[in-house]
Amino acid sequence: MRQSSPSKKMTRLPQKIRDRRCAEKKIPVLLHVNTSIFTSHAITLVSSMTTLTRQDLNFGQVVADILCEFLEVAIHLILYVREVYPSGIFQKRKKYSVPVQMSCHPELNQYIQDTLHCIKPLIVKNDAEKIVVVIMDKEHHPVERFVFEMSQPPLVSISSDILLSHVEQLLRAFILKISVCDAVLDNNPPGCTFTVLVHTREAATRNMEKIQVIKDFPWIVADEQEVHMREPRLIPLKTMTSDIVKMQLYVEERAQKAS
Amino acid sequence: MDDLYLENIDEFVNDQNKIVTYKWLSLTLGVHVNQAKQMLYHYLEQKRKESSGTRLHATYLVSGKFTQNGNTCHKVAVVREDQLEGLKSKMIVTASIHVYSIQKVVLKDSGPLFNTDYDAIKENLNICSKYSAIRCASAVPRSSAEISRLQEIAQGTPPASEGQQAASKLSMNGHSPSALKPATQQPKGIMGMFASKAASKHHETSKEVKTEAKEDSVAAEASNSKPTSKGSALSNFFGKTATRKTKPSPQTAEVVIKEEEASSAASPASKEEDEPSSSSAAKQVPAIKEEKPKTSEAAPKKRKDSKTKAKRLERSDSEDDKSESQQKKRRRIKKPQPDSSDDEIIPDSPPARDVKTPSPPPEAEVKKERATHTEDAGGIKRRKRRKVLKSKTSLDDEGCIVTEKVYESESYSDSEGDFVKSNKQQLSKQPATLRATGGKKVEDKKSQKKSSANKGTKQASIMGFFQKK
Repeated sequence: MRQSSPSKKMTRLPQKIRDRRCAEKKIPVLLHVNTSIFTSHAITLVSSMTTLTRQDLNFGQVVADILCEFLEVAIHLILYVREVYPSGIFQKRKKYSVPVQMSCHPELNQYIQDTLHCIKPLIVKNDAEKIVVVIMDKEHHPVERFVFEMSQPPLVSISSDILLSHVEQLLRAFILKISVCDAVLDNNPPGCTFTVLVHTREAATRNMEKIQVIKDFPWIVADEQEVHMREPRLIPLKTMTSDIVKMQLYVEERAQKAS
Repeated sequence: MDDLYLENIDEFVNDQNKIVTYKWLSLTLGVHVNQAKQMLYHYLEQKRKESSGTRLHATYLVSGKFTQNGNTCHKVAVVREDQLEGLKSKMIVTASIHVYSIQKVVLKDSGPLFNTDYDAIKENLNICSKYSAIRCASAVPRSSAEISRLQEIAQGTPPASEGQQAASKLSMNGHSPSALKPATQQPKGIMGMFASKAASKHHETSKEVKTEAKEDSVAAEASNSKPTSKGSALSNFFGKTATRKTKPSPQTAEVVIKEEEASSAASPASKEEDEPSSSSAAKQVPAIKEEKPKTSEAAPKKRKDSKTKAKRLERSDSEDDKSESQQKKRRRIKKPQPDSSDDEIIPDSPPARDVKTPSPPPEAEVKKERATHTEDAGGIKRRKRRKVLKSKTSLDDEGCIVTEKVYESESYSDSEGDFVKSNKQQLSKQPATLRATGGKKVEDKKSQKKSSANKGTKQASIMGFFQKK
């Protein structure tokens, strides 16, 4: 069964980056705020009223960490809920104060972690426009696409204390929505596999070498076949707006799944 | 009550695809929980009568008297609709059943139920008990002075005592731990065991001895109740995740628990609090303590043993654990390699073979073994025939002297091995065409093996594939 051996997938270059020529979209501008006042701070988010600014080197990192953690949980949950892998490999763990299902399979976990490790630099620079978890059937035609559209607003400073608990609440809502998405989606055919695509904004592919941060984990440009679906149906799941990120989750589903 | 709530629930369930629990509903609509339960029930009845539109699924909370392992306990369980009848029939007395939640989706596990309630309660923390049916007159918020005093005390005691307290509470409340959370109790029992082991080394008070014994038996019972609780509906509901959770977790846990079971089998299943049991508990403690250092030391070994045992046992359950099966594969493939190296009669797999060769150490081992094998085969002098490349000079048709290098079979014995080796280093390589002619096959292969040890023949036989693994 293909899905039982993600390691094989790795050597066959499964991950893809789709370079989007989206000239019609505005490239979000990182505000280079020329303030002479730098807030000095120890970057410990535990302390109250620590303000973070974009000049702060760690701000992008912090946001990227939060988002990558969330994406890891979300991907595991999608694999569980859509039954891409048998439920026996999943184990209940706690995240954002609620139980979530995470896989225990070491290779699968490593694969997902490596994927996100490569995506993180894109998120730091706000180059990642969409992260897509594609579920494909045996013939490698996409059957479902879980699209996480994200954009980071050009933010100057925020208070971290209230922020994180608010973000946690929003992410919890995402988790809940993924858990119940079964009701609005048709069942998938057996023998499905998954992959992760990243849609980047324009300039990102110039730094493609930087994306190959993990050896033996190469990224390649995606085929049309794997990116586009025939007759997609759009089902929105959740939207969130917060100070650090705007994220939208929707599912594109193929009208006829059993081929 | 007016019927507006039916529309509200309809909107929540069908339009917003929410999970509507009675707790969430009571906080959202501002009604007493019992009223919320009735609302859900009426809504469900109405929808079922209509029998149109999307199918709804419900979960129920069942509570009542239940026997397990000969112990009666009061069991409270949340079950899916399809498991409801099963659980009801197993209960001796069913105290209450009510609708817990209604949703469109078939719930695979209980996580989303908790998730739904979490936010609702968190937002309404100050009024979360306003609509609740549970009342206690002495339950009032602490004053801040009390809180600070308690915090100081809490910092003083070691954190390891938490596990013990939890375990002791379990044994006080029930005779056997309720099957509601078998999975969570088992890790608590295990972690409590490890925690208490560290604690007992430092403190060694009788109290902790007692709780340790309790934990062991609790853990033993937890593991006992786990396989037997498959009959209970709750474990069916959580069952797949609960039982499978333990399997991926290192199987030392199971081994340790089985050992503890054996040691504490004598201890009574219930009533650990009784005074007379303290003596037996004291007896157990040295046994348990002895076992613990053993288990901790033997833990890495046991992991392997238990895993191989478990593999033999669980070979039929191939679906259960992929990592196990992969390790199985790895083990199987590795094992033949040391075995085959003794029996081989084949040439050394050439280095020019493809990339999939395993790590160098096994290769080096195999080569060494082969080298020694050839020399060890003696003791007994054997005469063998082998093909030797010799140059023959002869007269051609046209009267020219032609020198040909030809393989000729020649008999030799092992004692001449060294001499032969040095000879062969000068030979050129023409094994393919000439090998087929004459000689005995076995000897050819042996000689071939020797020759290739020096010159590295390119041609690999089919056995080379297996030996490499």
